[in-house]
Amino acid sequence: MDHSELAEIFIKNEEKVNWHDKALWFVREKRDAAARNVKGWEYLRELASGIKSNVLSNLDEYLIEFEKNAQLNGIKVHWASNAEAHNNIIYKILTQNKATKVVKSKSMLTEECHLNPFLESKGIEVIDTDLGERIVQLAKEPPSHIVLPAIHKTKEEIDVLFQEHLGTKPCNGDPQYLTNEARKHLRDKFLKADVALTGVNFAIAETGGFVVCTNEGNADMGVHLAKVHIACMGIEKIIPREKDLGVFLRLLARSATGQPITTYSSHFNKPATGAEIHIVIVDNGRTEQLSREDFRSSLSCIRCGACMNTCPIYRRSGGYSYNATIPGPIGSILSPGMDMKKYSSLPFASTLCGSCTNVCPVKINIHEQLYKWRQIITKEQKQPIVKKTILKITGIVLARPKLYALLGISVRWMLKYTPRFMVYSKVNAWGKSREFPKIENGNFDQWYKKRKNNG
Amino acid sequence: MATLINGIKKEKIMGRASILKSISANKPALTALPEIDMKVFAEEINLLETFHKNVALVGGKIFELKQLEDLDIEIKNRYPNAKRIVSLLEESLLGNVHLDELTKPQDLENVDLAIIKGAFGVAENGAIWISEAQFPIRILPFITNDLVIILPKKDLCLHMHDAYDLIASRMRTFGLFISGPSKTADIEQCLVIGAQGAMSLTVLLI
Amino acid sequence: MKVGLFIPCYINQLYPKVGIATLELLEKLGVEVFYPSGQTCCGQPLGNSGYERDAKGACQVFVENFKEYDYIVGPSGSCIHHIKEHFDILEQTDAVINVRKNSYELCEFIVKILGKTKLGASFPYKVGLHKSCHGLRGLKLGSCSERMDPYYSTEEELLKEVKGLELMSLTRKDECCGFGGTFSVFEEAISTKMGKDRIQDHLDNGVEVITGADHSCLMHLDGLLNRNNQPLRVMHIAEILNSSI
Repeated sequence: MDHSELAEIFIKNEEKVNWHDKALWFVREKRDAAARNVKGWEYLRELASGIKSNVLSNLDEYLIEFEKNAQLNGIKVHWASNAEAHNNIIYKILTQNKATKVVKSKSMLTEECHLNPFLESKGIEVIDTDLGERIVQLAKEPPSHIVLPAIHKTKEEIDVLFQEHLGTKPCNGDPQYLTNEARKHLRDKFLKADVALTGVNFAIAETGGFVVCTNEGNADMGVHLAKVHIACMGIEKIIPREKDLGVFLRLLARSATGQPITTYSSHFNKPATGAEIHIVIVDNGRTEQLSREDFRSSLSCIRCGACMNTCPIYRRSGGYSYNATIPGPIGSILSPGMDMKKYSSLPFASTLCGSCTNVCPVKINIHEQLYKWRQIITKEQKQPIVKKTILKITGIVLARPKLYALLGISVRWMLKYTPRFMVYSKVNAWGKSREFPKIENGNFDQWYKKRKNNG
Repeated sequence: MATLINGIKKEKIMGRASILKSISANKPALTALPEIDMKVFAEEINLLETFHKNVALVGGKIFELKQLEDLDIEIKNRYPNAKRIVSLLEESLLGNVHLDELTKPQDLENVDLAIIKGAFGVAENGAIWISEAQFPIRILPFITNDLVIILPKKDLCLHMHDAYDLIASRMRTFGLFISGPSKTADIEQCLVIGAQGAMSLTVLLI
Repeated sequence: MKVGLFIPCYINQLYPKVGIATLELLEKLGVEVFYPSGQTCCGQPLGNSGYERDAKGACQVFVENFKEYDYIVGPSGSCIHHIKEHFDILEQTDAVINVRKNSYELCEFIVKILGKTKLGASFPYKVGLHKSCHGLRGLKLGSCSERMDPYYSTEEELLKEVKGLELMSLTRKDECCGFGGTFSVFEEAISTKMGKDRIQDHLDNGVEVITGADHSCLMHLDGLLNRNNQPLRVMHIAEILNSSI
């Protein structure tokens, strides 16, 4: 099912849509308030964009520098061309360490590579430790938002879920009680885990270190208790110098949730004595996106989710309508590059309002890339014959003024005189919920001609 | 066996080599790294006041001690029920759980309160830099139920750019900016203080 | 100065009143207005649907019709934006470059080029301004709520000077109405929901007349209002600025 079909289903429950829309708009407003408090906010975005441009133009050198410095500090570096290689590398490290229990903090990359089902098929227990991710894991659902994975779930739904899986008492969805119970449940998992997996928010070429940001502390709870820390990163997560973190850490949390910074911004350079740190650097289609001149800047994304919060379509259709690991505006320019057929409806799931481009901390021109993807998709993907024919004929008519004048008058005549039941029939999508304008007198051409003739 | 090893080696090299090759072929022309004009961010604000405000904003508690001697009294007042306490501060006598080379991270599971010294604070976001220089076992500030950080009030900087200047010449092992207690809003956007890490953070300024 | 009047295709056919108001308003302001009768459409509906290559003919007709004017003025932010941004698919002859450079949305033309805000208009109603996206973010007719720029709004500058007009404040100042061209048909459910929410915002804030610089947005909202018999009407800003009592 494409986006419009899935969205139509989501929208049927108007109460839920209103709640989802308001919840995310609230986050957008918090972002606005936080940004207003930063002197030079727009300049900060400009810097972030410039740094990421430089990174993409020198990516191989930075990755080599990062690897060298990381290895000097005792971090083991692995490279994975695709999702399969990523999963295999991780599995290998797990077997080498006889690990059967894994805790994982948020990593959209591992979601992209479908790591969990892979490891589970090998008999390994994987616990997602971010509260939102644990909720959707228990519900056997994918995350619907990259920063707020369970945004689509009401507290009553979570109450029932925890009763079933955590043995909690019914509590009318009391968030404090539910969070406390989750803390106890996850504490147990942290203490028993063999290996901890995390994502990477930023990897620093200059030092060979990397940063992981959380509010809950779940990444740190995992990695400092387990003997082995595996950090997964896409190739584009590199930044050149440690001081560049000053720019990105000022932008990230404010853009994502409106906080000035996440509770924990943990900087990893060396493993603790007796422990191991592994980094898995992943391509999985990113070098291919790098080759696309119009779309390569989408690789600058720092996964803040601000574009999703500001998008009026995302707020009203929900993350699942996109049917992609990364949904929303950024997902709509990343996904077609990976599978154009599957994701061909995504760039059309937008009015091109441009708000996403304005909130993006690294100034990706998302709405312009959505427009550009549309031009490519109509060429390379089979389009519905009716849509294609109508549009091509329109193009021909609009290039011929006399033909256009004739069509204009015909359309007006039809709207004016065709019986209502024919105009507002099932095939008329516009007319499902909207009236057509009332046709009176002549069109502008006719009025102007008359005026000219009257002197 | 040799072919198997060579095969695995080849696969490893293939991953790295093919990724780097692909990047080299596909990357755009070099654009320069922008230099940061710090003047844009300069502000005449009261660092202490701003830091106070932001620590509270992020859910932390903050208090200025009149004198260092008040330290233990203040902590005992705020955490009267804390039984197992780790203190990494010479000035505090409250510590009764001692850490040494044999201490395993899991051993700290029942620590009620940890008292550590912060290196410096960042006014714009209420964050404090702490690192292995301040606490020898990495899990400590996360696994403890409650956390107290002592911070000299003169050791404040304005924003993160200044912060990175301050830590630029450190020995790099593990460190973090910590801003308030652990928290989550994953349940219907309701803010809950106390998620997986410490349930509270109290900053005592000296 | 010779001004070529650009009347967007759907205004010509479906809302000629808006075109008439635009022409009359410009003439009242002392502008010599020419209306090239061979004009058709800027090509935006095709571009947004992914068929910009099939709109080249239409774009060329546009350039032919308007290349000789000092300014091209049209009562539509999205069409003018399309001309300025997406006529890059044509070979960039002098004519094309000039047409792109000299195209102006009506309000911007009046305030920036004519330097006028007091137009002597009178409209004693409670008005809600819909800040259409392409005009707002594309043409920068105003600052938008998500960017940290100093506040300004070209349309508000004009509306402020209209006698008796009370400009009402909205809850969401610049959220998209959901029209989006063919989006309104291919993502009909979301489109109508977005329109309904915009209308509710205006109703909640006591608006009697919704106005804006883009009649495509207003057409979409008008269609919903009429179907649902809601106590609001829409009027293009040209009609308000051209009205006097």
